[in-house]
Amino acid sequence: MARVLCAWEFGGDLGHVRRLLPIARELRARGHSTVFAFRDSAYLHGVLAEGFEAFVAPLLRVPAAVTVSPLNFSDILLNLGFDDPHGLHGALRAWRSMYSLLDPDVVVTDYAPTALLAAATLELPRVTVGTGFSQPRVGEPLPALRTWEPSDPNVLRAIDDRVLNSVRAALAGVSDRVPRSAAGLFDANAHLLCTFAEIDPFGARADVEYVGPQGDATSGVNLDWPPGERARVFAYLKPGDARFAAVLGALGQLDADVIVAAPGLAPEAALGASRGSMRVVASTVNLERVIGAATLCVCHAGPGVVARGLAAGVPFALLPQHLEQYLVAQRVREAGSAELISPDEPPPDFVAWFASLLAREDLKEAARERASALRGYSFAAGTQRVAERIVAVAAG
Amino acid sequence: MARIAFAWELGGEFGHAMACAALARQLHARGHTIAFMFRELHQLAFLADTSQYDIFQAPVSVSEGHGEPIPASLADILVGCGYDTGRHLTGLLGGWLSLFQRWKPDLVLADFGPTALLAARVLGLRRVSYGNGFSIPPRLSPLPAFRFDEPVAPGRIAQSDARALASANAALARFGGAAMQHLAQQFETDDDFLATFPELDSYGNRPSTGYWGPRFSVDSGVAVQWPEGHGKRVLVYLKKTLPALDTLIAALARGPHRVAAFIPELEPARRARLAGASRIVSERPMRLAPLLAECDLFVSQGGNVAVGALMSGVPQLVFPSQYEQYITARRLEQIGAGIMLPPDAAATGVEGALQRALGDAGFANAAKAFARRYPRYSAPEQQRRIVVRMEEILARPSRWSALPPPGAGPILTPTQGSGASR
Repeated sequence: MARVLCAWEFGGDLGHVRRLLPIARELRARGHSTVFAFRDSAYLHGVLAEGFEAFVAPLLRVPAAVTVSPLNFSDILLNLGFDDPHGLHGALRAWRSMYSLLDPDVVVTDYAPTALLAAATLELPRVTVGTGFSQPRVGEPLPALRTWEPSDPNVLRAIDDRVLNSVRAALAGVSDRVPRSAAGLFDANAHLLCTFAEIDPFGARADVEYVGPQGDATSGVNLDWPPGERARVFAYLKPGDARFAAVLGALGQLDADVIVAAPGLAPEAALGASRGSMRVVASTVNLERVIGAATLCVCHAGPGVVARGLAAGVPFALLPQHLEQYLVAQRVREAGSAELISPDEPPPDFVAWFASLLAREDLKEAARERASALRGYSFAAGTQRVAERIVAVAAG
Repeated sequence: MARIAFAWELGGEFGHAMACAALARQLHARGHTIAFMFRELHQLAFLADTSQYDIFQAPVSVSEGHGEPIPASLADILVGCGYDTGRHLTGLLGGWLSLFQRWKPDLVLADFGPTALLAARVLGLRRVSYGNGFSIPPRLSPLPAFRFDEPVAPGRIAQSDARALASANAALARFGGAAMQHLAQQFETDDDFLATFPELDSYGNRPSTGYWGPRFSVDSGVAVQWPEGHGKRVLVYLKKTLPALDTLIAALARGPHRVAAFIPELEPARRARLAGASRIVSERPMRLAPLLAECDLFVSQGGNVAVGALMSGVPQLVFPSQYEQYITARRLEQIGAGIMLPPDAAATGVEGALQRALGDAGFANAAKAFARRYPRYSAPEQQRRIVVRMEEILARPSRWSALPPPGAGPILTPTQGSGASR
């Protein structure tokens, strides 16, 4: 029986919990035990309710100022608090105390670089899970995140050095196992990418394992399309997005049946926005049920929704909100089944944009091709594959 | 030998970590095993003696303080720190329970650790509170307001109290704990180490209780000596985030005074502006006792350190930047031993206050008169007695019983008035 510790430090949203919790259930079903360490105590409630042991992850100090457009992943680490050797020192000691207390056979990190580093200093087996962004391509120096912009290796190296100096200072008197390069910060026994290689934000690569997207898409309300031959537009939108009102307005004017899922929207606002052939719900929806029969999927290019849409053969209108989503959106566009509006672009005439995408046969054709390549993919088995690999690493 | 967990959950000043470290040092030297469960971990970089301790992140809410009004009572603070809903608090309480169940403390020392106390209550652990008064409310129902300079509607106090109590009871129920009738019950302990003087107590009057004197250790830290010269000696102990810091640095750099300053993690540029032949800027906490022994003015934000410095009979200039410190600063003014300035004081205010505090002997006289009221107090003696008291508590059988584990009870439970007689 393996003891597994699942750590989540960064990134908002439910995505991390929705990935880790099914893995823990699967591990439990196989006779292994899982302990959680989450940054946000608001999410402990759910895992405690299922009888899992749960701790609060050691917190880094949030920097007073952050780089708006980080150049490489070291730059992201600086933004997350790695620029502060004192805070990092305390957090690394706290992770090490937790590992000593719980004695895990394997540490599974989901966007948890401090947990990963602390586990490395104790030479614990470790596995990273994610959809790629938190498991970056490594190199010397760590490569630029925006490959379409010119970058200076010396600048990137200087950023790496800044992180390494901070890590070195933080580990002084704690451990001699200091990574020799920024790439060493990400060293793990396995990098499990719960996504398709074709939407890896950093492009398909050889040194990671694509275990595929997981299930759990069936959670959410069950909605059905009205019968008929009209176009069907499914939108999965964040109500906090600056373009939300404009997009919603445009969707309401399309000659199509429209379903909008906007988790976080006030229920009365959802009710007020529903009109004619457009239904707006303020919760998640059963994606499997609704996306398969859609003609177009409008979303922010979150990897989970995109994976579902790809497997279902639906073209996309993508409105990424940040870099991770933008990188995913680029991949889908490169494969031919999506168009995207970057967060920096002025918003287009959304009615015209959606209408033009609905008419694009090339998008539909590319989407059908992608889907046939993925035919037979089992989302439910994704979780089992992750659990199997975790257990294998724990067994050494 | 016992396992002692220091639980610091709320409050953000350096003083919590420093005070816990000073007490833990004594306990560790006597063979006890120590865990620090701290809300902030970066202070550990300054606490050299902690390498033998287990270090844990205290469960805290990442949404602390969002959207809640300025607090008037401890219940208000709790509502803003996870006690808004039972669900939110369940996560925090569960986090504390996980820590305690795994680390198995024999005694929990709560330094502003209300949820740690709640977890200790569920598990029937011995527990003490350790704080300067603000974190140890008088056990009244509802918990009283600490705001004293503006009216607070009684209804508001009762309402937050009821809301925090409802969340606490919901979370307790989730872990099989019996409901509390009053929020004050959450603060029941084996003893309260109320580390202040009655004159500086955040709550003013409270039902009869003991006081243990200020808890700031003036006897730890690096040795720093006053620079040579003839200027007045100004001891500075501030955070770099104080808005008036640059104004103060400019005033001190222009003036004739000698300065010894500790401002944690001060940026090199600001450090360079303050440092000089007669001005020392320490990178680590300074041993304050020898400096305070020959000091003309102590400048701080009004935390534990201000109450501690009072015993040296030194006048004070205080820049309180939150309400707890504001209460201390007001009390120092009332005693006549100090001047309070707003955290964003302008240059004229800072210079005027420096002049007054250093020029008027009345401040020093009042401070010395106050120190004479407590001739038997000393920081080492206070720590010795706290350690003795903790060991007394540890030596006795626990007065608390653990709550029964949650889950179904036995099927065949005898019930009064049923069975054979019917």
